[in-house]
Amino acid sequence: MTSKITRRSALITGGAIAAASVFAPNIARAADPINVGSLTPNTGGGGPFGPKITAAHKRVVDLVNSQGGVLGTTINLFQENSETNPETAVRAADKLINVNKVVGILGTWSSSVTLGIMPKCQEAGVIQMCTSSSADIPIRDEKGYVFNFQALSPVWGRAIARLALRRGFKTFNLMALNNDFTRSMMDGFTEVVGKDKLLQDSFYYNGGQSSYRSEVTQLIEKNPDAVFIPSYVTDFTSVYKEIFRQGYEGQVISVSISTGAKFKEAIGDAANGIIHGLPVPPIKSPAYAEYVTETGLEPIDGVQHPFGTAGRDQMSVLLLAIEKAGSTDADKVAKAIWEVTTGDGKETVYNVTEGLKAIRAGKEINYSGASSSIEFDKEGMVLGRDFQLAEIKDGKDVVIERLEF
Amino acid sequence: MSGQLIINGIVNASLIAPPAIAFSLLFGILRFPNFAIGAYVTVGAFIAYALNVGAGMPLWVAGLGAMAGTAVVVWLSDVLVFKPMRGHTPVTLLVVSIALALIIEHVIRLFYGADVRGFDLPLERPIKFAGMRITGEQIDIIIMTIVIGIAIHLLLQYTRIGKAMRATADNEVLAEVRGINTSYVIAFTWLVCGALFGLTGVFAGLDLVIEPLVGWYLTIPIFAAAILGGIGSPYGAMLGSLLVGLAEELTVLVLPSSYKIGVGFVIIAVLLLIRPHGLLGQPEIKK
Repeated sequence: MTSKITRRSALITGGAIAAASVFAPNIARAADPINVGSLTPNTGGGGPFGPKITAAHKRVVDLVNSQGGVLGTTINLFQENSETNPETAVRAADKLINVNKVVGILGTWSSSVTLGIMPKCQEAGVIQMCTSSSADIPIRDEKGYVFNFQALSPVWGRAIARLALRRGFKTFNLMALNNDFTRSMMDGFTEVVGKDKLLQDSFYYNGGQSSYRSEVTQLIEKNPDAVFIPSYVTDFTSVYKEIFRQGYEGQVISVSISTGAKFKEAIGDAANGIIHGLPVPPIKSPAYAEYVTETGLEPIDGVQHPFGTAGRDQMSVLLLAIEKAGSTDADKVAKAIWEVTTGDGKETVYNVTEGLKAIRAGKEINYSGASSSIEFDKEGMVLGRDFQLAEIKDGKDVVIERLEF
Repeated sequence: MSGQLIINGIVNASLIAPPAIAFSLLFGILRFPNFAIGAYVTVGAFIAYALNVGAGMPLWVAGLGAMAGTAVVVWLSDVLVFKPMRGHTPVTLLVVSIALALIIEHVIRLFYGADVRGFDLPLERPIKFAGMRITGEQIDIIIMTIVIGIAIHLLLQYTRIGKAMRATADNEVLAEVRGINTSYVIAFTWLVCGALFGLTGVFAGLDLVIEPLVGWYLTIPIFAAAILGGIGSPYGAMLGSLLVGLAEELTVLVLPSSYKIGVGFVIIAVLLLIRPHGLLGQPEIKK
């Protein structure tokens, strides 16, 4: 029998191939590289942390590529700056999804950015890995494609409150930047200290105000033992200046993302005495020790690289899951992310090299990371991050309390 | 608390009065609302920062440098951007000024990034009296603003150039017919206003935080103060600043503080509805 290629059959075949490539963009073809997006806050509010996440993503990709990649192909990393701005992030996500055809977008930091790009990622079948804390993240993730490497903000609030109570403070007043991250953190704080310990109703301020004087006057009017101000660095710097200028001598408590090196430079000696808290890496973990060696950073400097370590874990987990799934299909990869991170009775691995080797040997693995032990709840939110309270003394962060899980 | 809020309001007013006066003077002569004023203030803050922290100069010297440097930048913005566009409608110039503001902001970001910065000056604890608090720095800002208000009054009322500025603002063609070199007057006005924006940048850096959007945070209160006082009227701008400063601070007595940022907008909207020429402005007569 002879077959004859007609114009009609050629058109049908061509059309079918074109349709397949359009409707199944995320299915890796044999030798095609796997594209991964990194969308980090290299400037703006997350500017102090974004470059460390970016560098961590790149280090893991370079390492894996040098060892032959995953699924027998190399990884192409496309890196974009979100500027900690949801509008910029959505434009960048558009490019990563539609032009670069990425399997996952990793590294988003601010909740508004993570939530902003979520509809596009859900629609396109793209995995998201973030360090964001809004309680809305699991609610809006309808397809189970989002994995959060950061504790949700009510957890921050509860942990900071527990540590604050241990310090013996009896009365509090609370004021927060008006956004979801800080509002739900304030709720978590109130839940632990109890409403009877608050001398007045808690309230919110907007970022970008021309002054924060009246808010501070209101906050310190009843002279509480401590004030808790969940915030970002830009507004907290202005607010703290005003607290100092209005003569408050009680304890100021905030989050460590607001009190980094730039804050201390801008405020000078007046920053001494501030207490701040943040989820931190498990400093005794072998993975954390490896991260410190890989980066050449100091082993302990106050807040201990919480976001760079998470960047290392995000990329490691994604690549391990792709290898485990044997595919870049989002549903299969999402399922594999649980398989390589969560559950007992598996071989614990602390880096991507060990993990890939074990998966290829047919073993079940549990990746334990540099930012935490990386166990996810059923909504893809990380469980059990250590939490630390530090005090600024002589311009440095000194650890004063620690909750370990 | 209300006594403290009044002090807070007066400090706020002192911060927004100099740029509101400058905005009004510019509007009086050029007849368009220049949205780049926030960016000019940011330029002032960063020049002062560069001189104070970068070059190690005392803040008062850095402040003078910021006034001079910002005056030049603001004058150049006229020479390079607005002068070639004279004769276009106010709406066109307004859009151009928004574009200019964005360009300036991004140039600053290019060189300094988005990090927060502060002057090399220790924070001060307040002087306390009758349950109220104020710092020496804030007293200095209030005094300097009063001095500026008086100086602008003297300039406009008693000097040749001041009278020429008023004449040009009133009717540029007529002023030219009477022998006034209006190009010189306009350039002088840009320089004076630039110096006021530069000084505001120093105040804003002391009060808030030095970052690329610092001037933008003051833009709405400045507009509100100028419109409330009567756009084009420097005296009105002083009165408007006091009222806007107090209104913003006293809002927290009756409304949650998250609504405070809207006070400026409410003032602008109400004034435009009931008295478009403001408290001390003159209604424009169209023939």
